[in-house]
Amino acid sequence: MDRLIETTLWKYLRENCLPQNCEVVYTDDENLFDAGILDSAGILTFVCFIEEGFNLKIPDEDLLPEYFSSVASIAAYIRANTANPSITTMPGA
Amino acid sequence: MSEIRKCVVWDLDNTLWNGVCIEGDVQVRPGVRRAIEELDRRGILHSIASRSVEEVAREVLKQHDLDGFFVVPKINWLPKPTNIIAISKDLGLPFEAMAFIDDDRFEREQVSYMLPEVMTIEAQRAEGLPLMPPFIPLEITSEAGSRRQFYQEEQKRKKAESTFPNREAFLDSCRIRLVLRPLTEEDIPRVLELMSRTHQLNTTGEVLSREDLLRILRGESGQTTAVVADLTDRFGNYGTIGVALTDTGPTSWTLRYLAISCRVLGRGIERAFLVSLLSWARNLGFSQISAFFRDTGRNREMRVLYQMMGFRRGGGSQDKGTMAFDARTIDAISGPPWVDVRCDFF
Repeated sequence: MDRLIETTLWKYLRENCLPQNCEVVYTDDENLFDAGILDSAGILTFVCFIEEGFNLKIPDEDLLPEYFSSVASIAAYIRANTANPSITTMPGA
Repeated sequence: MSEIRKCVVWDLDNTLWNGVCIEGDVQVRPGVRRAIEELDRRGILHSIASRSVEEVAREVLKQHDLDGFFVVPKINWLPKPTNIIAISKDLGLPFEAMAFIDDDRFEREQVSYMLPEVMTIEAQRAEGLPLMPPFIPLEITSEAGSRRQFYQEEQKRKKAESTFPNREAFLDSCRIRLVLRPLTEEDIPRVLELMSRTHQLNTTGEVLSREDLLRILRGESGQTTAVVADLTDRFGNYGTIGVALTDTGPTSWTLRYLAISCRVLGRGIERAFLVSLLSWARNLGFSQISAFFRDTGRNREMRVLYQMMGFRRGGGSQDKGTMAFDARTIDAISGPPWVDVRCDFF
């Protein structure tokens, strides 16, 4: 499967939410809150980035643990909510 | 109406001092030191946006024993609005909370044009700063005088963080301790300050008066309880950083209000505080647990916090646009393992 979405999400998290020399390899299933990568403010900036980058409008009602706890669940949410994710303009691309 | 300002950004040459420091001797302008000290005592931060040679300017500040008053100073050749944006980002303060003082009208106009929310002040008025309403906070608390120290410790924290392989390891090493305890009369000034200064991590924006809080303390407010939270870590003491109000009925427990200082964002404190309150409610045997939220336009974080912690919009409308969120899965939630929570009352 195309990993462009996951890669884009990790790129953001590495640049914005992790120490610069972070050597840990996280899996897509890592709970971002339990790992200290996101908090209630961090998730909002991240959501802004996702909305802009993937041209999505994410309603507050959707900010739920089942969708926004891990890179895997966020990527699934993005795939389910964009008409054709393969042609979405990638942030920074 | 003038907004309360939390940070003054200073120009140096011909504003903080007379003369241009890279050209020779300068004299700190009369009255300026007193103004700086007084604002610092009130918990207002000072920073610098000045075009100069950093080493020279820092040396002059040191000679005049003023260097300790400034946080995240920007002494370089960048445009002042750029530096003010950087200061706002470093301190986590919005432009509406900032003021900029400069002798050069061009600089003031440029800042006003680019960042209209920033209050601009002529250098001539520097010594009168303590008399201006935007610099007169409603309450001056013991925390206020240490606010600068907090930001200075925060810079150390950021530096320390970059030596750790990941965030969790760093947070673990911080020895973060959150103490929850019942409100006392001595806490009231700080709680009033938290209620008026905290916008982001504030679930309803409700502002109580000193009398309201005294009534709660005396048990004259029905089943309302007030809890405060103190925070320390290996870098220092943050003092009281959060307050919660809870209402209880025969079987119901409602988190009516929760506010946490945004100074402690980014380390899961809001989650630790909420989880501890919920465990408390569960241990007391309440079966209906809910929390109030009112959209104030600035507190989306708190709605997200509730939702991410398993709360869902409940039925029953409240007054003034307040929504009730019901807790569904309290047993499954846990706080961040790097926060050591102590509770005085359960």
